[in-house]
Amino acid sequence: MNNAIEVNNIEGRKAVSSIGMTVLLVSFAMLFATLLLGYVVFRLTNDVWPPMGLKRIPLTLPTISTFIIGVSSLFFYNFEKAFNRNNLKMMRLQFGLTLLMGVCFMLVQFELWSSMKELGLYVSGGAYPSLFFSLTWIHAAHIVMALISLFFLVPTLSTGFREDRITWVMNVGKFWHFLGLIWLVMYIVMFVY
Amino acid sequence: MGFITPILSASTARAASTTMSLWESMKPPEDISVHGNLIDWLFGYTTYMNIFFFALVCAGLFGFSWFYRASKHPKAYYTYGNKKIHVIVATIIGLSVFIGIDMNITRMSNDDYVGVFANWPTEKENPVKIQALGQQWAWHFRYAGKDNLFNTEDDVVQLNDLRLPIGRKVVIQVLSKDVIHSLYFPNARRKVDAIPGRLTRLWFQPTKAGNWDIACAEMCGTYHYRMKAHLTTYSQEDYAAWLAEAGEKALQENDIENPELFWGWKWQW
Amino acid sequence: MAFFEQHIHSEPKTFLSKYVFSFDHKVIGKQFLWYGILFLGIGGIMALMIRWTLAFPGQAFPVIGNLLFPETGGVVPPDTYAMLFTMHGTIMIFYAITPILIGAFGNFLIPLQIGARDMVFPLLNMLSFWLAFISGVILMASLCIPLGAAAGGWTSYPTLSTLIGSPGAGQTLWTLALFILGISSTMGAVNYITTIIVLRAPGMGYFDMPLAVWGLGLTAILNAIFLPVLGAGLLLLIFDRVFGTTFFLAGAAATSGTGDPILFQHVFWIFGHPEVYILILPAWGITSDLLSFFARKPAFGAKATALAMTSITILSTVVYGHHMYTTQMSPLLTQSFMTLTMTISIPSAIFFANWLGTLWKGSIKFPTPMVFSLGVVFVFGLGGLTGLYLATVTTDLYLHDTYFVVGHFHYTMAASVLLGGYAAIYFWMPKMFGKMLNETLGHIHFWLTFIGLNGVFMGMMIVGYAGMHRRLYNPFVYDFLERLIPLNTFVTYSALLMGVAQFFFVANFIHTVFFKKEKATDNPWEVGTLEWTVPSPAPVYNFKEIPVVKCGPHEFGNPNLTGDRDYQFQTEELV
Repeated sequence: MNNAIEVNNIEGRKAVSSIGMTVLLVSFAMLFATLLLGYVVFRLTNDVWPPMGLKRIPLTLPTISTFIIGVSSLFFYNFEKAFNRNNLKMMRLQFGLTLLMGVCFMLVQFELWSSMKELGLYVSGGAYPSLFFSLTWIHAAHIVMALISLFFLVPTLSTGFREDRITWVMNVGKFWHFLGLIWLVMYIVMFVY
Repeated sequence: MGFITPILSASTARAASTTMSLWESMKPPEDISVHGNLIDWLFGYTTYMNIFFFALVCAGLFGFSWFYRASKHPKAYYTYGNKKIHVIVATIIGLSVFIGIDMNITRMSNDDYVGVFANWPTEKENPVKIQALGQQWAWHFRYAGKDNLFNTEDDVVQLNDLRLPIGRKVVIQVLSKDVIHSLYFPNARRKVDAIPGRLTRLWFQPTKAGNWDIACAEMCGTYHYRMKAHLTTYSQEDYAAWLAEAGEKALQENDIENPELFWGWKWQW
Repeated sequence: MAFFEQHIHSEPKTFLSKYVFSFDHKVIGKQFLWYGILFLGIGGIMALMIRWTLAFPGQAFPVIGNLLFPETGGVVPPDTYAMLFTMHGTIMIFYAITPILIGAFGNFLIPLQIGARDMVFPLLNMLSFWLAFISGVILMASLCIPLGAAAGGWTSYPTLSTLIGSPGAGQTLWTLALFILGISSTMGAVNYITTIIVLRAPGMGYFDMPLAVWGLGLTAILNAIFLPVLGAGLLLLIFDRVFGTTFFLAGAAATSGTGDPILFQHVFWIFGHPEVYILILPAWGITSDLLSFFARKPAFGAKATALAMTSITILSTVVYGHHMYTTQMSPLLTQSFMTLTMTISIPSAIFFANWLGTLWKGSIKFPTPMVFSLGVVFVFGLGGLTGLYLATVTTDLYLHDTYFVVGHFHYTMAASVLLGGYAAIYFWMPKMFGKMLNETLGHIHFWLTFIGLNGVFMGMMIVGYAGMHRRLYNPFVYDFLERLIPLNTFVTYSALLMGVAQFFFVANFIHTVFFKKEKATDNPWEVGTLEWTVPSPAPVYNFKEIPVVKCGPHEFGNPNLTGDRDYQFQTEELV
C-alpha cells in the first residue's frame, strides 16, 4: 500500500522523478536567487564596499571551499557511474570520498565563520557581515540536508545496483551538484567581486 | 442584553450626526489643496467608466440568466465559442476595456504624476520647507527658523502640530525614527511613507485656512490609531506672525544641550 | 500521456492508516477541507471582533467577550485588536483559503479529473498536510504566550516586525509558522505539477483538462516559484529577530545597521502579488467549469480562458510594485509598474467575455453550485474593476492604506475565493462524501452570504473613499472620520449577517456528512468529466481501469447526441 508508485518501466519512473526533482530545484534556486538579489541590492546601493570601514573577507578559505565542493561533485559523479556499472568497490571508494569532502566543506565553513569573527565581523555588526553569515548559513544548512540524504544511499553500498534505488541516486546527485553550483555562484558574486 | 446596548447607542450617535446627509458623509473630506481635485477627478472618471463596464457585466449576468433559464430555453446552443465572430467580439471587449479605461487613466495619471505630484518645487520657488519625523506614536515637525538652515538651534520644532500658510507650496521631507509610518493628509489627498533610513518627500499647496487632521496611515504598533497630528492652515500674514512668535520662543526655549532636539538633517533639494 | 500506470491500492485497514496518516489523495483532501473550514471559522470570529470594535468602540463583545477579555470586561483591548487583524489576515489567506481551494480541492480534483489513481508522490502529499498541521498548531499556540501573537499586520513589514516594533515570541512564531507552511505548500506544488504532467489519462492533452485543473496547475507553478521568495524573506526576518542580524534595520533605531526595511517589502510583494493569483486561479478555473456545466453548453472559448489564465500568471510576476507606490520608488519604476499592472485587464476582460459567452444561449439551471459561481462573476467583476483605482499612481496616493484597499482585496481574494470555494464544496460534495447537500439551505446560505458580503465590502470601499485608513482601533478619534460612524455600523451589521449565514452552511454540512442517510447517485449533476464516471463517493483506487480520454471536458448539448442525455463523458468518442 505504501508503495503506491509502483511503476511499470524504469524509464518512466526516471522521467517522473526528474520532473519532480527539477520543480523542487527550481524552488530551491528561487530561495537562493532571492537571497543573492538582496545581497546585490545592498552591494549596489552602497558606494563603498565593504561599508563602514569593515574588512574584506580574504579569498583563501572560500576558494578552498569552492575547490572542495567541486571535487566532491566530481566524486559523486564517479559514484553514479560506478553505481550504474554495478562496480561495488569503486562505489564504496567514491561514496566515502564524497562524504569526506562534504564534511570537509562544513569544517572549512566553520573555519570561515570563526575567521570572520577574528576580522571583527560579527553577526550583529551591520548588514555587511549579516549578509555573509546568513547566506553561508543557509547554504550550509542545505549541505547538511544533502549529507543526511547521502545516508539514504548507504544500503546501495552493500547491494550494488538496484532498480528501485536508481532514482534515489539520481536525485541526491542532482541536489548535490545543485548545491555545488549555488556555492560557485555565491563564491563569484560575494567573495570574488 | 450586552447585544442591545450598542445598537441603542449607535442610534443616538446617528442622531448626533444627522447634520450631514448620508450622501455627504460618503464623500472624501474637504479638499484644501490646489491639486487634490486632480485625484478626485480621476477617481470620478474611473468610477464612471467602471460603472459602464460593470453594467455590461451585470446585463450579461442577469440578462442571460433570465432569458436563457432552463425552463424557458431548454435547448442550449452548441458552440465552443471559437468561431471567428466570437473571437473578434471577445477581443474587442478585452481591448475596449484596456484602451477605454486602462490606457486612458494610465495616461492621465502619468501626466498628473510627472507634471504635478512628482514635480518637486525648486529652490527658486521658495516653498515652505518642513522636515517631519515619525516615531511611535507622534509626528515631529521642524521649521528651519531664521537662518533658513535645518538642525540648528533656532529651529522651530513642533509636536503633532503643523501650521502652514495658504497660497504657498509646501515641501515636506519625511523620515522615521523607529518603524515605518505614513504621513497622511486626507484633506490634501496625499500620503507618503516615513521610512527609517530613507528620506521621502511630499508637496502640496494649501488653499483654505482652517483646522484639519493629519494621520498615520501605515500600521505602526498598538497605538497606531492615536498617531494623530493637527494641521492648521493660516493666511500668509497670520502664518508670518505665528512663525515669528514661534521663532522667538524657540530661541529662548530650545535646549542646545539636548541631543534629542537635533533630529533634523541637512535639507536635500 | 501517462508515463506509467499506477497500481490499484489495497484498502487501508487500521484507523490510523485510513483517516490520519493516509496516503490517499481523497482523504488528504478531506483533511485539508476540515482544517480549512476550522480556520475559516476562527478567522471569521476574529473578523467579527474587528468589526464590532470599529462599529461600537468601547462596548463589550457579545457572548464570548467576557470569556476572552476578562480584564477589560469584554472590550477588545488595542493590543489585542492589532493581533486580531494580523491573525485574521494570516489565517484567512494561508490557513483557510489556501487549504480549502489548493489543499482540499487541489488534492481531490487533480487525480480524479485527469484520470489518475492517486498523486504521483503520495508520501510527499501526506507530509504536506502534516507540516501544514504543525504550522497551524504553532500559529494558534502563539496566541497563548505572554505578549501575545504577532501584531504587525499580515504583511508584517519591518521594522515593526523586528524586535524594535514587536518584542516577544509571537512574531517569531508567526514567521516560523509561515515558513513551515511555505515548505508544506511547496511540497504540494511539486506534487501537483508532476502529477499533471505525468499522470494524465491516455488521450488527454493539456486542453482536454477541465479548467479547474488548469487553475490548480498554474497555482502550483506560482507556488513552486514564489513561495521560496517569501521563504527567503522570512528566514532573514527570523535571523534579524533571533540572531541579531540587521537586514531590515536602519536609521536611528539600529545600533550599527545599514539595512533596509524596504527590501522586505520588495521580497514580500514579489511573492505577495502572485499570491493573490495563487488564491484566485483555482476559483476562476472552478467557476469557468461550473458555468459551462450548468449552462449545459461547452465552455465558451475554453482554450482562450486557459491561455488568459496563463498570461495572468505570467503578468502577475512583474507587477508587484503597485503595492509600494507610497514608498516613493523612482518615477520610472512607478510608471512601468502602473502600465504593466494595467495590462492585466486584457486577459481579465477576455475572461469575463468568455464567462458571459458561456451563459449566452445556454439552458441555465440554478442549483446551489451555479448560483455561487454566478456570484463569483459578480463579485470578481467588482473586485477587478476597483483594482484600477489602486493601480493608478495618483488615486493610489490618496487610497493607499485606506479601507478602499481593504474592500478591494476582500472582493477579489475573500469574496470571490470564498464563493468559489463554496461552489466547489456544494458541487463535489457527492463525490467526496457520497451525499448531496440540502439545496434549500444552500440557496439561503448563498443569498445571505451574498447580501452580507456586498454590504461589508462595498461599505468598506465607501468608508475608505471617505478617507478612513486601515488598522485603526478607534477611527473616531479623528474629527474627519466621525461622520462615518453610521456607515461603519452598517458594515458591521452586514458582517453579522454574513456570519449568521455561515451557520446554515455548517448545519447543512455537518448534517449531510454525519447524519444524512440518503446516498447520492454517481452523477447527480449530469456532467461528463472523469470524476463522474466513478461511483460516489470515489473508491480508494479511483478508477478500476485507467480511462482513455476521447473528448473535451465540456461536451454539452451536442445536437448529434441521441438518447435522453445532453452531455458526453470524456471517455466517449465525440459524436
